[in-house]
Amino acid sequence: MSVQTTHDKLTLRIDGPVAAFSRIFTVAGNTLREAGRNKLFFGLLGVTILMLIFSVLLSDLALADQKIRLVTDFGLAVIPLVCIATAVLLGAVLLYKEIDRKTLYAILPKPIRRSEFLLGKFLGLSLLLFGQLILLAVCWAGVLHLRGGTFSMALAQALGLNYIEILLVTSAALFFSALSRPVLSGVLTLGVFLVGRITYVINDLMQATKGAFAEVPAMRALGRVLVAIVPDLSTFNIADELQAGVSLPPDYFVHATLYGLSWVGFFVALSLIVFERRDLV
Amino acid sequence: MAEQDDILALEHLGKTFRVGFWGTKVQAVRDVSLVLKRGESLGYLGPNGSGKTTSIKCILSLIQPTVGKIRLFGADPSNAAARARVGYLPEAPYFYDYLTPREVLDYVGKLYGLDGSTRKKRIPMLLDRLGLSHAMDRELRGFSKGMLQRVGIAQSLLSDPDLLIYDEPLSGLDPIGRKEVRELMAELRREGKSLFFSSHVLTDIETLCDAVCILDRGEVVAQGRLSDLLRMDKLESEALVELPLDTLETAKARLLALPGVELTEELGPVLRLRLPTDVVPGLTAAVVDARATLRELSQHRDSLEELFVQKAVHMVSSDGQRAPKAGSPE
Ligand SMILES: Nc1ncnc2c1ncn2[C@@H]1O[C@H](COP(=O)(O)OP(=O)(O)O)[C@@H](O)[C@H]1O
Ligand SMILES: [Mg+2]
Repeated sequence: MSVQTTHDKLTLRIDGPVAAFSRIFTVAGNTLREAGRNKLFFGLLGVTILMLIFSVLLSDLALADQKIRLVTDFGLAVIPLVCIATAVLLGAVLLYKEIDRKTLYAILPKPIRRSEFLLGKFLGLSLLLFGQLILLAVCWAGVLHLRGGTFSMALAQALGLNYIEILLVTSAALFFSALSRPVLSGVLTLGVFLVGRITYVINDLMQATKGAFAEVPAMRALGRVLVAIVPDLSTFNIADELQAGVSLPPDYFVHATLYGLSWVGFFVALSLIVFERRDLV
Repeated sequence: MAEQDDILALEHLGKTFRVGFWGTKVQAVRDVSLVLKRGESLGYLGPNGSGKTTSIKCILSLIQPTVGKIRLFGADPSNAAARARVGYLPEAPYFYDYLTPREVLDYVGKLYGLDGSTRKKRIPMLLDRLGLSHAMDRELRGFSKGMLQRVGIAQSLLSDPDLLIYDEPLSGLDPIGRKEVRELMAELRREGKSLFFSSHVLTDIETLCDAVCILDRGEVVAQGRLSDLLRMDKLESEALVELPLDTLETAKARLLALPGVELTEELGPVLRLRLPTDVVPGLTAAVVDARATLRELSQHRDSLEELFVQKAVHMVSSDGQRAPKAGSPE
């Protein structure tokens, strides 16, 4: 069905991929702008930067050869966690806020597809988290420099993998927020993150000869289900390997990235399906 | 078959919500059918909770109808190109409060694919037309309801749409605001735009619409061209008569015995009567005869308000709550 969209005076460009991308970027831009006025976001950011600085003071207490190590480990553990926390907090209300405040009612009747709106929100949050990660990494590099260390390529790679993990958690948050209300979607996203980080532990426990996961059939079954439906997030955390001085093959990064992006694609696709059919009342 | 001129058609539209833990059904809209032709203005009327907003959300594809079909410019409302020709003002509109009116319109303009120079030209022009030029660069947080309403109207006009769908455009405005918005809508109508607007207040919209559709509890209770519904061509008069207290009953019986005389109100010895205009001489004679006093005599025509009260089984009280309908279903 073709509908005439050209008026005498105004030309509306709404057909084709260029117009679609422009709408997605418009929504993403607004999502970024909204986060830019979010006190929670800046509070979290400020506290983290303070903590990084604090880690320098703390490292004074450590032995000479442990000083750099302490700052490195601290950053590698805390930076991803803070970004994940941001993803969960902002992701849980990403759609709910628009519905609750009725801002969606003015936007979705415009010639924008729901899928474009959703992708724009996801893109906006992903860009925000990227900016946050970069900012924290720069602060961290500065702190490391103060301690006489260097921000190595290996550390950059480690943070790169962490960003994949952040994207994955964001996409899970998007899905749950398309499905349910903020508290529940936050809890579910957090659940995916926590279980995802320890799936390898559950796996190990099931392989073990003793313990509940190995011995109780119900727990074994639960373990299997969890391992099957939750992404293995330890893939994206190579802090232990870095500490042990193990260098990972380039293959590893490619596979980890593909693995992570597949999960992102899966969650985003599910979100699109859910959001497309949902009544916005 | 949809005609070329039908820009909006609802066919047996129905929407049922499920609420609560048990999924209790709430029928918000049942079996509404209507057609809006190009250039026409249709008032979608009914008390609070009668299903107006629900129908409008279906028309804009915000919610899916449970039954029935909607054609918007001949297409399904899920069609973005069809929606591009609609300017929509949501009920009690709300926009991102961290944006200024200019930024809201810029955002909306981008969604319509309007290029930068067009946006730059049109946005200040529209905000000016809505009397917002002084507040163009102030964040919406802290705007009054009336100002938000104006921002809502401005953004609805940005793409120069053919059809305007306004949900309660006059509610929440002060008397001057109502008058201004009413005048603006009349102007848009003269410019050839089609109008579909809802209202739960009837007094000040009569002049705005060609046709009305009156809803009550989700069902259409009256529908058609205003001129047909209001019997404007029928000549009727209204009289206010005060009867002498001593012969009250006989005098009353005497007046009511006249052909076509209806008693519409009775306040003690004062009667409000409706009668065909050609019976007026007979009435005056009878009044003199019965030693009664004719207080008022006027030409009468139905108002939308009366039609509404007559059709809707129950009334809207001043606080907007509706009296429950006796023996209501569900
Ligand atoms: N999301 C919803 N869930 C359940 N019931 C709803 C919902 N939205 C509206 N309703 C009910 O549908 C009826 C019509 O509501 P609405 O369309 O908002 O009326 P109006 O706009 O005419 O005031 C009301 O009884 C209302 O309670
Ligand atoms: Mg309403």
